[in-house]
Amino acid sequence: MTLTRRTFLEGLGRIGGTSLLLAGMEAFGMGIASAQTAPPPLQGGGKGKKVVILGAGVAGLTSAYELGKAGYDVTILEARSFAGGRSQTARKGFQLTELGGETQTCTFDEGNYINHGPWRIPFHHRSTLHYVKEFGVEVELFNNDNDNGYMFATQGKGPLANKPVRKMEIAADMRGNAAEILAKVVQSGSLDQQFGAGDKELFLEYLKSEGWLDGKDYKYHGTDGRGWITKPGAGLVAGTPSKPYDFTDVLHSGGWRVLSSVSDWDQQRTMFQPKGGMYMIPRGFVEKGGVGEKIRYSTVVEKIRQNAKGVEISVVDDKGQKSVVKADYCICTIPLSVLKTIDNGLSPAKKAAMDGAAYAPVGKIGLQMKRRFWEEDHWIYGGHVFTDDMDIGSISLPSTNWLGQKGVLLGYYQFFANAAKVSAMTHVERTNFALDFGQKVFPAYRDSFESSFSVAWHRVKYNLGGWAMWSDEARARDYPILLQPEGRIYLAGEHLSHIGGWQAGGIESAWMQIAELHKHASAS
Amino acid sequence: MRSLLIATALLTVATPALAADGSALYQQNCSACHQPNGKGIPGAFPALSGDKFVVGDPKAVAATVLNGRGGMPPWKDTLKDDQLAAILTFVRSSWGNKAPAIPAATFTAVRNGAGPKAAKPMPGH
Repeated sequence: MTLTRRTFLEGLGRIGGTSLLLAGMEAFGMGIASAQTAPPPLQGGGKGKKVVILGAGVAGLTSAYELGKAGYDVTILEARSFAGGRSQTARKGFQLTELGGETQTCTFDEGNYINHGPWRIPFHHRSTLHYVKEFGVEVELFNNDNDNGYMFATQGKGPLANKPVRKMEIAADMRGNAAEILAKVVQSGSLDQQFGAGDKELFLEYLKSEGWLDGKDYKYHGTDGRGWITKPGAGLVAGTPSKPYDFTDVLHSGGWRVLSSVSDWDQQRTMFQPKGGMYMIPRGFVEKGGVGEKIRYSTVVEKIRQNAKGVEISVVDDKGQKSVVKADYCICTIPLSVLKTIDNGLSPAKKAAMDGAAYAPVGKIGLQMKRRFWEEDHWIYGGHVFTDDMDIGSISLPSTNWLGQKGVLLGYYQFFANAAKVSAMTHVERTNFALDFGQKVFPAYRDSFESSFSVAWHRVKYNLGGWAMWSDEARARDYPILLQPEGRIYLAGEHLSHIGGWQAGGIESAWMQIAELHKHASAS
Repeated sequence: MRSLLIATALLTVATPALAADGSALYQQNCSACHQPNGKGIPGAFPALSGDKFVVGDPKAVAATVLNGRGGMPPWKDTLKDDQLAAILTFVRSSWGNKAPAIPAATFTAVRNGAGPKAAKPMPGH
């Protein structure tokens, strides 16, 4: 029998337990955290070899910073007039013109912003956090889970559908009732053969604690964790505990469908965000990392060619001036959605493989509110209002400027067909659409509204989509082809990672490709 | 948010279109990219006006719209077969296109058959 990777790992698990299994997984680069925690050592240095990098998103910035440190002579060609790629932050004066759409100029007050691109950094994205630390980017906690937030189920039925219901109530009642039912089944003896000696008692004990069950009949009567009718106070005010909802109503509301989302690996606490917006990450590379002076802004790639000696990139700047940039190597971080529309000179196999990636239509809108009614009236500090209305997706409350005066909340975050649909609206229509929904959740929503900024990433030039998606077939068939360098050209970006759509994917893909490039350059 | 995406499977279109209005549904769902005049945006979104694929094999058209391709999302979870039929019939007979209607049954058949698989949706970031 050949020892496959899986049987090897299973063997480790059997012999050494979990810790050895995890160590083995790390060794295979398939660990449970984002796989790399630090940039690759580029031993021997670049000795002045020239590398042209296409795109100043986090993948391009990472490549330029690390290769530059190793002594390579790097130049970044960036189509936009600013760095960061999708790591953008809309603040006062920020402009965006969607393809086929009007030009928006952000009119938020000073200090207010929306991260219309990436907006949160999970604790296990060690690569992103590596640069946060390296450049001294100030971060604050991003609240990704709020027990006092609302669920607003529109697809369900009954008295708890189509109204805001606190997450703590739904969560407690689902856990309590599920634990009670399971405890009854266990007590009846019908699961006895599932248990080893002593297991049953321990499991019942667990259910009791998990579901706040009382007495010998293991009954769920509610818990203070689902909130109060009147809250405990001073003196004689003991508080009135809340009563559980009818279990049928909770089930039929459908609100429980979104409960597990924040337990997903990439949604768990702890999460961070840079103070002042996600743009602080690219700014770290540009200013603290010194990459800024290596960027040629407003320079659009028109043609990519290579021969045995080097690469030649034909570009045009914002004044229509054409030129050719020559280098020994090229790292191309242009999204595949855009790269395939450029005269890229790549092989038919690479071109066909690029078609395997789908790009996600994604929409977001930031709404500046003159008063933080979600904090003042509802005691909701950050986190999300989850809904199964997929044209909205979620409303997210800001994790910055806590208890301040104004705030910018995220009015919708939708994907795919829903995003395509909403993006057909004008910006004013999108704003009204978002306000109409928010008004159902928060009575002060529309009255508090001041200004808005929206994006539909599939209509953003130089991106044409929020992030790349690979079907299982395309991941197996096309993706490996794109990971291979073609001559002197290396592709990098979130699209060439298993951390797609996250900045960590772009950074770690860059780490991988600069190591490959360095290996090749050192051998020649 | 992965679970929000799972919820798409539960979506039912709220207003059952008795006689689905292809033009209105096109403007609502497709025009953001392909543009109200069907001319798309060169280098970004393909034109539907005068496009050979669009006026070609109805089954291939139905499979592409149901499952998505490149930057176009799959539509099978958000639009019903009669709505998709109305949209594609409108597209195939507008802006100079002259191709026969695609009946809802074609979408239903492709949906039930083993069409090409859509890209796996990913959670929000």
